Amino acid sequence: MALVAGVFVLVLGLTGSILAFEPELDRLFHPHLSYVKPGGSALSLGEIGEAVSKQFNGEPIVAYLPSESPDLSSEVILPSGIVCVNQYTGEVLGTRTRGQSIFGLARDLHVRLASGDVGRNIMRWSGVALLVSLASGLYLWWPGKRVGVRGGWQSGGFWFDVHNSVGILSLAPLLILAATGTVTGFEDQAATLLAKVMATSQARGGQNSARARAAPEAPVITPEITPDQAVAIARGQMPGAIPYRVQMPRYGGAYRVSLDYPRDRVAGGHNLVTIDQYSGDVIFSTRSSDLSSAERILATNEAIHTGGVLGMPSRIVVWLTSVILPVQVVSGLWLWLRRKRYAVNSSGGVS
Amino acid sequence: MKRVFVLVVLLVVGAGAVDVTGTWSGTFKVSGGDHSTPQIIILKQDGNKLTGSAGPDAGEQYPIENGKVEGERVRFELTSGEWRFGYDLKRAGADEMKGDLELKSVGSRRTAVVVLSRTK
Repeated sequence: MALVAGVFVLVLGLTGSILAFEPELDRLFHPHLSYVKPGGSALSLGEIGEAVSKQFNGEPIVAYLPSESPDLSSEVILPSGIVCVNQYTGEVLGTRTRGQSIFGLARDLHVRLASGDVGRNIMRWSGVALLVSLASGLYLWWPGKRVGVRGGWQSGGFWFDVHNSVGILSLAPLLILAATGTVTGFEDQAATLLAKVMATSQARGGQNSARARAAPEAPVITPEITPDQAVAIARGQMPGAIPYRVQMPRYGGAYRVSLDYPRDRVAGGHNLVTIDQYSGDVIFSTRSSDLSSAERILATNEAIHTGGVLGMPSRIVVWLTSVILPVQVVSGLWLWLRRKRYAVNSSGGVS
Repeated sequence: MKRVFVLVVLLVVGAGAVDVTGTWSGTFKVSGGDHSTPQIIILKQDGNKLTGSAGPDAGEQYPIENGKVEGERVRFELTSGEWRFGYDLKRAGADEMKGDLELKSVGSRRTAVVVLSRTK
């Protein structure tokens, strides 16, 4: 089982190590689109929108993605692509087009082996296989309880010792990553199970009233309030939260402002205020504090798996653990190939 | 006789060219995804040009762009935010459409199967 699952676990580890630092790697590949020199006060969303509209012949704006940090650019979503803008000068830095990239491929491989429903099942069951492998590895290690490497890499027990030592030292993060990844892989089933166990209602008040709004009439009327006014209204609803996305009413029927409480690394981004573009009334809002226990458990599970739960330190642990996976797969395969040469004695040593 | 033949041809062609104007509901299921996503699509056909809106429900609708009807084939696009949706549907009877959906965002591309039926 470990041999078959090993191939997919190898894919999980390699792609996971890329995804652990995806935003940073993405900026590394696109520095001219990502970074700006902070200086003065940032332009309003309306001014940024005007700068983009001038350059793109009045193409409608779908949404604004305000900058997350003073040295990172803002983004404006258009139907034709995502425009990166210097929020201090209004300079258009360039456009990112939609389509598969190396990072998208890594994600697709990690989640579904880039092959639809079959791949999705293979990858989530590989998580289960990894959990079983870790348990069996612990069982095999236990009698000898050996940590450390004897001799050089050409010596008989080198790979055996590497596999054992690396495995036992990284057992805890590997178990956590495998368990949280498996839960993510079976998220729908986990959500159903959690809802049943906790007998919580998934429905939240107010949401249905917003859903009942009539569809926008064509042609679309110019909104009466500006995106900056919508942001101010949303901020008034959620003091201390930082807006990270402003969707225009032409796309979805109302302003939708997403906000983040950076201190809440688990569910801080699960805040949304929907605003009527004519009256400025708040149609409904959802807050991270409104999440049910089941939803919070799943959000925590995801934050642990991605390393977001404790910020940079936990992301580094996730990256290291992902890198270790291929080492364990390769050393395990080497041991299997050379299995006739090695014999494990009763005390767990190799001879 | 010639006139009758032309009339028959026109009737046959006309019968095939059912207008897709109306409200359509159904789902799309992304390949490798866990569940189906509901869809409400409001179409207005004018010749071979298609306009309207689409979204997960009647309240959250996104304008259709580049809509075309070519025989049995119905194609249109929309932007829901980071994602761009490209529908390529075929009529399966007067009140059903099936086909493919391509979803693209920066870095990602996914495909889905769409099934729709006319509700109005």
